[in-house]
Amino acid sequence: MTYPNGKVALADVNVEIPRGDFVFLVGPSGAGKSTFIRLLIREQLPTSGHVTVAGRDLLRMRRRQVPGLRRRIGIVFQDFRLLPNKTVWENVAFALDVTGVAGSIIRRRVPQLLSLVGLQDHAHHLPTQLSGGEQQRTAIARALVHDPAILIADEPTGNLDPVTSWELIQLLIQINELGTTVLMATHNQEIVNAMRRRVLALEVGHLVRDEAVAAYEREY
Amino acid sequence: MPFVRFIGFSIVRAWQGFWRNAMMSLAATATVVLMLVLLSGLFIVITGLNSGLQFIESKVAVTARLVDDLPISARTALVEEVEEYPGVASVEYVSPAAAMDRLRASYREVGRELDLGDPDSPITLFASLEISLTDADASEDVGAALATHDDVDRVLTKQAEYDTLLGIINVIRTVGLIGIGLVGLTVLFMIINTIRIAVYSRANEIEIMRLVGASDSFIRWPFILEGILCGLAGAIVTIVLVAVIWDPIQPAMVTIFQMPTAVSAQFLTTLSVLLLGVGLGVGALGSWISVRSYLSVAH
Repeated sequence: MTYPNGKVALADVNVEIPRGDFVFLVGPSGAGKSTFIRLLIREQLPTSGHVTVAGRDLLRMRRRQVPGLRRRIGIVFQDFRLLPNKTVWENVAFALDVTGVAGSIIRRRVPQLLSLVGLQDHAHHLPTQLSGGEQQRTAIARALVHDPAILIADEPTGNLDPVTSWELIQLLIQINELGTTVLMATHNQEIVNAMRRRVLALEVGHLVRDEAVAAYEREY
Repeated sequence: MPFVRFIGFSIVRAWQGFWRNAMMSLAATATVVLMLVLLSGLFIVITGLNSGLQFIESKVAVTARLVDDLPISARTALVEEVEEYPGVASVEYVSPAAAMDRLRASYREVGRELDLGDPDSPITLFASLEISLTDADASEDVGAALATHDDVDRVLTKQAEYDTLLGIINVIRTVGLIGIGLVGLTVLFMIINTIRIAVYSRANEIEIMRLVGASDSFIRWPFILEGILCGLAGAIVTIVLVAVIWDPIQPAMVTIFQMPTAVSAQFLTTLSVLLLGVGLGVGALGSWISVRSYLSVAH
């Protein structure tokens, strides 16, 4: 993947993530983690190579098919990206509303999701009235509205304290156990080391490590 | 049902967007009102002048002054001959006495009395034929044919009057349309800017919409409707303004421009349809341009 200014963001990256996996994506800032994620959600197209997500070739995908792809992928960010003037309920319902889901389905689906992330009692709070962990849970509930096959978490614990981070990881594990593939980009060594899951390590745009049960840094 | 939801969603979002960015939306609406008020003014004047033109056309188009002491038989023959000319609708003989009566009546209309000094004054007016036409363009040919006729002394046509009025209408129409075109461009830029600001102020929402898989139409149509809303609001305000001032204007249209009452009754409806069409059109065009240029690059 080469940017128009000539900078090569990713090169020679061959990765296959099976359905239902829980994968960590690690590497220093500028290693290409964000580009990797942007390629998966078709925010960018590779200058060469192929990207296949949920059985679809993203290069051959028409522009009007992109929204369908995005409903198969949930995504959460370090900065939560909640709408500050909407309550927890409205933030989650918004994702259904803007995709044309009927009101009756929204009224049924939102409580299920809030219950899954443990925020049923905070439904009418604004994001500013929530802790960081609660805001990230709201973002996860929103990411799950379309029951996606894949959940991508880009530094989800970056703004959270260690205890809250662990609570969030427990939630992601729970979601993964329900059958959703989880890809989590992170700098959090403690979590990666403790989890012992598959780790993809990027450095200067290259995949330097792909190990099935691994730690944050090379162990040999 | 999904389409109904889409429409409902877009209208609600457009309405929220209009008021979220109220100052800019109202400024855009005000420029739409300005443009439509100018358009209404032009439309009223042009329609009035056109009515005047039709009135002139419908009146006596050619007057043939007859030579003195023309025998009745010759006059009857002349009338029959002229009635056969192409483009002639009817021919009316006006006797000197009838012409005098008309002159007296026209004096009385403005509150004066025709004073010829001696009540038995020998002053008389000419006898004439007043010829109305089915087609105003025939006036030149009919006039030329009569001018060479032995029984005709002089020919007067309304062609010059008609041409002058037509010229005035064309100048007003051209200048008016250029002016409205320039104001229209300003309005277009105002709407493009308003919608651009609306798009930027909703950048976070748009990004989230994209990420959760909202289709392009769900992202774009609320903004297009917001622009249409500016145009619609402008049109409604202008229609109300015109309706309010129409009452005092209407009698003037009938008396000054000789606008037929039927046209005058329909006029407000016709103008309202025009204003709605132009308002909605400019609103839709401006927001469409804005959405095309500011939402497509970010995709």
